[in-house]
Amino acid sequence: MEAYHYPQFNTVVYTAKFKDIKNAEALRSRIVKAASLDGADGEAERDAVNFAFIEAKLITSSLHLETAIYQALLSESQGSLRTKTIHSEIIWALNPTNNISEAIKLFGVSGRTTDLILVHAATSDTCDVQQKMHNIVDGRLVPMSTIPDSTNWANVKKHYKLNGELALMEIASDSDRERTVIDNIVISTVAMKSVMT
Amino acid sequence: MPSSSLSSPSPTQRLLGSAQLIYQGAEAKVYKVYLRDPELQQIAKHADHDTCSMAEDAAPVLLKYRFNKRYRHPSLDASLTRQRVAGEARALMRCLRSGVNVPGIRMVDAAGGVLGLEWVDGKSVRVLLPGGSEVMVAQDSDATDDVGPDRCEDAALAEFGVERDDLLSMIGVEIAKMHIADIIHGDLTTSNMMLRRGGKDLVLIDFGLAYHSSLVEDKAVDLYVLERAFASTHPDAEPLFNSVLASYAKRLGKHWSAIKKRLDDVRLRGRKRSMVG
Amino acid sequence: MALLRDSRNSRLTSPKKPFLALGLEGSANKLGAGVMKHNEDGSTTVLANVRHTYITPPGEGFLPRDTAQHHREWAIKVIKDAVSQAGISMHDLDCICYTKGPGMGAPLQSVALVARTLAIMFNKPLVAVNHCVGHIEMGREITGAQNPVVLYVSGGNTQVIAYSRQCYRIFGETLDIAVGNCLDRFARVINLSNAPSPGYNIEQEAKNGKRLVPLPYTTKGMDVSLSGILTSVEAYTADERFRPTGTPYSPEDDVITPADLCYSLQETVFAMLVEITERAMAHIGSTEVLIVGGVGCNERLQEMMGIMAQERGGRVFATDERFCIDNGIMIAHAGLLSYRTGYNTPLEKSTCTQRFRTDEVRVTWRL
Repeated sequence: MEAYHYPQFNTVVYTAKFKDIKNAEALRSRIVKAASLDGADGEAERDAVNFAFIEAKLITSSLHLETAIYQALLSESQGSLRTKTIHSEIIWALNPTNNISEAIKLFGVSGRTTDLILVHAATSDTCDVQQKMHNIVDGRLVPMSTIPDSTNWANVKKHYKLNGELALMEIASDSDRERTVIDNIVISTVAMKSVMT
Repeated sequence: MPSSSLSSPSPTQRLLGSAQLIYQGAEAKVYKVYLRDPELQQIAKHADHDTCSMAEDAAPVLLKYRFNKRYRHPSLDASLTRQRVAGEARALMRCLRSGVNVPGIRMVDAAGGVLGLEWVDGKSVRVLLPGGSEVMVAQDSDATDDVGPDRCEDAALAEFGVERDDLLSMIGVEIAKMHIADIIHGDLTTSNMMLRRGGKDLVLIDFGLAYHSSLVEDKAVDLYVLERAFASTHPDAEPLFNSVLASYAKRLGKHWSAIKKRLDDVRLRGRKRSMVG
Repeated sequence: MALLRDSRNSRLTSPKKPFLALGLEGSANKLGAGVMKHNEDGSTTVLANVRHTYITPPGEGFLPRDTAQHHREWAIKVIKDAVSQAGISMHDLDCICYTKGPGMGAPLQSVALVARTLAIMFNKPLVAVNHCVGHIEMGREITGAQNPVVLYVSGGNTQVIAYSRQCYRIFGETLDIAVGNCLDRFARVINLSNAPSPGYNIEQEAKNGKRLVPLPYTTKGMDVSLSGILTSVEAYTADERFRPTGTPYSPEDDVITPADLCYSLQETVFAMLVEITERAMAHIGSTEVLIVGGVGCNERLQEMMGIMAQERGGRVFATDERFCIDNGIMIAHAGLLSYRTGYNTPLEKSTCTQRFRTDEVRVTWRL
């Protein structure tokens, strides 16, 4: 698990990547149910799943994720969140279009998820974040730097509409170079989403 | 503009407060900054990985802050600032997707007047060509690298392992790629190009006045602006600029003749302009 | 009026005897005659600065033929007044200076003809002067600005200029119409008077403007484009919210007045000019700016430029209407500067040209 410190937002963001996820479908339905539960149980359940759950195969680098986190923190500080929470906003920021349910479907956890990233933003140091992650995720914790290893590059190209772009056509033969270029475009797309149109 | 509240500065203003000012231009201040605490805190040990070698520190980001202009009407100023941040980001995006070498985008706060870009480690083309290091040395962040007025440009070029002709031809190619993508830079000067250290990338920078257009006229004017910048910055600029044009022409192929014709028109019209209109 | 000359940027040494020149200007609708004296101590004295302006009715511009006619009619009187005010005789002159260009062909020619005639009559050398260089040199002389970036704004010209290696280089300029032309043409659209000048009346009208309407803001590098803004501001006069002067409306009505349009036009156009000037200043590392040309007497432009210059730790230099607006004295002054470096114009070469770029002149008198 990593912690990113953002002094300008007085915020610490915890991130962790898990692979070999075994309870993806259960996790997904638990998140959906938590939203509609009433009373103290609902509170406890929402606290248990108080993370952004992100499909790791569509993330190209930790900078890709960090860029979405940054733009979400910025929107929150300006009172201009497009979604209900900072965590859903991160998922929204990752998606190249403005459609919220599409964002969650693509970039959130699904029944097929095998590689998952958890993000938790907090205003103070929280010591039990990692334990909370382990409580809900059945998988193996790996460093964030392994993100590119599980990236589904074809899907990234598809969702970010990179097929047919001149930038990729010129370097199609060099896959390392191609990944660097894709990563840069994808990061830039996330960074500029607020002024895209 | 940034943070109208009296209570506390906005996060972007706080970020600027922590940033290192590297250049103050007419329109914007440029900073080097880290969007987060650069040292990553690795909390957990991973069973099958060496944590130390896996830790990724944050890369620096170039922040371009369009401060407000007091001479301008406040509402005109605010809308221009927003438009220009957004316009610059969109032009860069289009370039990135079209394979033009430009800095990647890292952060956008249009209302705050701030654009965060990939940090490009390299040198301004201006100081790599003859005469370019004479003026504006005081404003160049790399000024201390320059040994003296005597052929320091060629020494700097040698440090990059690039011949002057290669450099000129790289300039032509990048501008051609940009024009093929229908992006007009709007402020082409040798100060707005960088040679990236290590690699052999020529990076076009400062898209503050860029816009989208497929018109031959706009492309010709873009070249004309560069021609004039060459003439006013580098003595005996004509052969230098001709080398740039030659590689531009080659890359553009069949579209070159129309642009060449229009460039000739624009040069002529430039002379007509001194008439009483 | 005596001015102290600062020789820090000059190649000229103080003259052994005073120099006297008559300057004749008529490139547009102002006919000017001025007598300039360069003194032994390096100072200069404006002995006379007489001007007569051809003023057309509201809604009409000045045509070359009529303007030339005006200059021919007034030449003798204006020159006589200048010489008598100066208290000199034509025989005392060292040279006769005239505007070679740029400007309108017919008016230029009629004044050049007067200059040639006087040169033959009194056996004086002729000195052909570039109009823009005249503005720049007079501006430097009056304000004491040493090496400023120059914004030259008039009815026919919009240029950002800086001196370098014996040349006034144009760093930026208009890509289509001149700023004065833009303001004058809009003044005609809303029927403002041409007296004393349409630009002056736009400036007064703008003071009552309350609303900033959106107009295109087009800067390209150090250049500007102004034709789009003229079209756009004209279009507002056909907007249903537009109320021509004299039309009644209540304060809560959503209206656009001629004053609002003058205000918006000035705020937008001047912001563009200040922006390109600042860009040139940043480019060459200068903190001084000098505004010359007819639009240069606009106080709002001077104010905006002053704010910009102050923020850069510098200052703005400007002159009043006596020297900003086309005049003969600037031609006499710039002519004398080149005459003193040994330059004069043989009779057979004393032509005019409508096109004469500022950067074509070899500035021999500066370091």
